[in-house]
Amino acid sequence: MSIGIGIDSIRYRYPGEDFEALRSVRFSVEPGDIFGLLGPNGAGKTTLMSIMVGILKADSGTVSYHDGGSRLDERRIRRVIGYVPQDYAFYQELTPVQNLAYFGAMYDLPRKVIRSRTEELLHVLGLSNVADKKVGFFSGGMKRRINLAIGIIHEPGVIFLDEPTVGVDVQSKQAIVDFLKRLNAHNTTIVYTSHHLAEAEELCNRIALIDNGAVIAYDHLSALLKANNSKDLQSLFLNLTGAGYRD
Amino acid sequence: MNKLLASVKKECLLLWNDKIGLLLMFVMPLLLVFVITIIQDSATRIAAENKISMLAVNHDRGGSGAQLLDKLSGSGMFEFTLQNELSPDLLNQELLNKGLLMALYIPPDFTARLSSGAKEISSLMQRDLGMNESDSAVVTQPKPRVSFFFDPVLQENFTFSIQNIIGAYVTNVETALVIDQLYHDAEIETQPDDLKERMLSNRVAIETFAVGRGSAGLRPNSTQHNVPAWTIFAMFFMVVSLGANVVKERNNGSFLRLKTMPASFFLVIISKMLVYMMLAVLQVVLIFSVGVLVFEKIGLYKLTIPANFTAFATVVLLSSLAAVCYALLVGTFARSQEQANGFGAISIVLFAALGGIWVPTFIMPDFMQVISKFSPLQWCLQGFYILFLKEGSWTDLKWVILSVSGFIMACIAGIYLRLRAEKLV
Repeated sequence: MSIGIGIDSIRYRYPGEDFEALRSVRFSVEPGDIFGLLGPNGAGKTTLMSIMVGILKADSGTVSYHDGGSRLDERRIRRVIGYVPQDYAFYQELTPVQNLAYFGAMYDLPRKVIRSRTEELLHVLGLSNVADKKVGFFSGGMKRRINLAIGIIHEPGVIFLDEPTVGVDVQSKQAIVDFLKRLNAHNTTIVYTSHHLAEAEELCNRIALIDNGAVIAYDHLSALLKANNSKDLQSLFLNLTGAGYRD
Repeated sequence: MNKLLASVKKECLLLWNDKIGLLLMFVMPLLLVFVITIIQDSATRIAAENKISMLAVNHDRGGSGAQLLDKLSGSGMFEFTLQNELSPDLLNQELLNKGLLMALYIPPDFTARLSSGAKEISSLMQRDLGMNESDSAVVTQPKPRVSFFFDPVLQENFTFSIQNIIGAYVTNVETALVIDQLYHDAEIETQPDDLKERMLSNRVAIETFAVGRGSAGLRPNSTQHNVPAWTIFAMFFMVVSLGANVVKERNNGSFLRLKTMPASFFLVIISKMLVYMMLAVLQVVLIFSVGVLVFEKIGLYKLTIPANFTAFATVVLLSSLAAVCYALLVGTFARSQEQANGFGAISIVLFAALGGIWVPTFIMPDFMQVISKFSPLQWCLQGFYILFLKEGSWTDLKWVILSVSGFIMACIAGIYLRLRAEKLV
């Protein structure tokens, strides 16, 4: 499975708002990419990701998923995408094992598969020793890792991560980044938003820079740096979006 | 099916992991039913078994005042504290000072006025029977009177009942005086003891029958009334926990994640429906079991379970489902837990008040009785009363089943339309 995504002329306006949150956004994510969706606060990153995963419906434009040469239907898309939202999206009153069992079942995974995947994920993410403790008592870093584990319990072909390392310590951040690299090595496409530009620079091979609801730069990271004469992603970011506050 | 089972298991685990919350879901309704039944039981037994304490001041210069107090005491309903030294002006103060609830004041001219009245009746009878040849008009005498003081905390219908009982015994004393006067005026020398005995004791016995269809002879009592009524209230009060639970789930990030999965939020709703319905049924089982097994041991009436168990189970299941569906509807429409809690709790209290859970609907004003017909708690209550008090049949339950089923379907339709409007299903 090697999933690519096409974003074509997406427009979106939140109900009751005068301005468009997304203005004719267009780019593509190639199979096996680690794709950075970057931009200042309020640029439209989360809105775009919400449309890509099906939480919001675009006013116009299309999001298409391809596996090899064939376009995937909506039912199939829901099975091949994994979504890791910025907020903790699990039940704090349940244990990691119970959370993974529930969300795994929502993907129609057999119990045996859920058990083995749970064991594997908790081990890799360093959570085996708290497998049967309520998540509500966990540290921020542990919660982030649980959030991630739930999003990939079904071994998705493409993973969407909205600020997956926000508010965690260096150790947890590195564990998450390493894990994402390992997933990508198995040809999993990753779409990722973050304000940690150094982390994005380490992780992403291609980026789309969004500002005021529009894509202002989109290419391989190295090509963008070269084209804009920037030494790193942060200087590129400031060059293109300016230094003023956005929120 | 696998998803539904997983969702049901998740709901069960969420409940189980909050053991105190789960315990309260059973303990609080049980406590409510206990307290209300005990209170109502003592209220209904007060006239039947407990003596009513009353302060009495007898200033009557004749013997009728004492006779009246003797008869009232002899009835077994009253226990008098005599304080003849009190003046009627001080009686009001005395009640307030001592925290007493009732007092009876018999004025000095009580016997004199009763006797005058007896003479008047006797004269009328003699005139009408042609025994009195005198044409002189019968003079209307002033009516005898007693004064009844009561604390305003007492309910109006209770004080009316007491006044009626006192009135009945005053009539009794008066009748004896009339008989004496008749014998005296007719110059009959024999003492009218036999006649008085027969007239005064020849009161019509009233046999009471609680109407019902069964042969078990269920007697309406505080337990049969209160246990089903307050169990329904407790079931519907689930709106507070379940309504808020739905809002919490919708506002939770897990819900957003669910939208990206091959699963529907309606699945979450159905699993909640199944789990909470099971909880509501368990609440009923627990409360009714306590009514059957424990109430008698603590001096309350034992709860008698209806003979038609299938009909009983049907009403329990429908009531539980109605309570759960209403809670889910509130949770689906509310935008915050505060909205769900506030609206849910107040609406159930209103439905309960209108539905006759607190006071019977027949004593409400006409327009309120019409409104009460739209309370789902009223429909459920009717179902239970038909079975618990009247041993009713399936035919009697027809409208209850139709109304509650209609309510359930309306709630489910409301939930579906709301979720659809929010593009959640």
